[in-house]
Amino acid sequence: MNDNSLFQIYFDSDLETKEQVYDFISEIACAHASFQQKQDIIHQLNEREKAGSPLIAEHVLLPHIESEHVIESQIILFRLAKPMHWDETIEDIRMIIAILLKKGEEEAIKKKMAGFTRSLADEDYVERLLNVEEIEFHKEIIKIREES
Amino acid sequence: MKIVGVAACTVGIAHTYIAQEKMENAGKKAGHEIAIETQGTIGTENELSSQQIQEADIVILAADVKIAGRERFEGKRIIQVPTDVAVKSPNKLIKKAEEVLKQKQAQ
Repeated sequence: MNDNSLFQIYFDSDLETKEQVYDFISEIACAHASFQQKQDIIHQLNEREKAGSPLIAEHVLLPHIESEHVIESQIILFRLAKPMHWDETIEDIRMIIAILLKKGEEEAIKKKMAGFTRSLADEDYVERLLNVEEIEFHKEIIKIREES
Repeated sequence: MKIVGVAACTVGIAHTYIAQEKMENAGKKAGHEIAIETQGTIGTENELSSQQIQEADIVILAADVKIAGRERFEGKRIIQVPTDVAVKSPNKLIKKAEEVLKQKQAQ
């Protein structure tokens, strides 16, 4: 797949609830698929959440799945316009990074994705992603994309 | 202190690698020698050598799934936590390893 399409950025996203986020992600994951396949994606996202919290840093969520319904592996970044109340235990979310991994994806793409997730261990980097303006946000992602 | 460990999560694309980085950074910051193997979607990376394991004072397993090769750590002092503990509180986790080792040495 084209490396440039691995990342999708939604800056100032007006998504307001967890349900809206998962609906949106399921649309991106399998745009022309059946309603049932999209529901499967949402179910998988919810199941992954039950296995462990998607919260990776203050204000940041990282929902992720591997699925045969995912047409193209993607990393989707939402910088939210307004802080989101996610559920009873998670609130004040300002950035959501969704990782969709296609079942049987080639190793080179998996390595790129792993390289990006490793960069999220850097608290300064995450802090910048949370606070910079849109142009800088894109630059930060491009930088990581080129390094990984 | 010499620490070795393994990071492994269910999908193996996210928490595994963040946990590895965070544990290694926190361990080094606290002045320890640390090596974390990842068992993720790419397979095993940074595989621990038998010498590394033998020389380790403590083992940290940050895993949400059954890890491969757990028998390598038989007889070692092991701390097992879910990956999100390593992701959210890596410094506390290293502190806990220090305390466990202190208790072991006091015995």
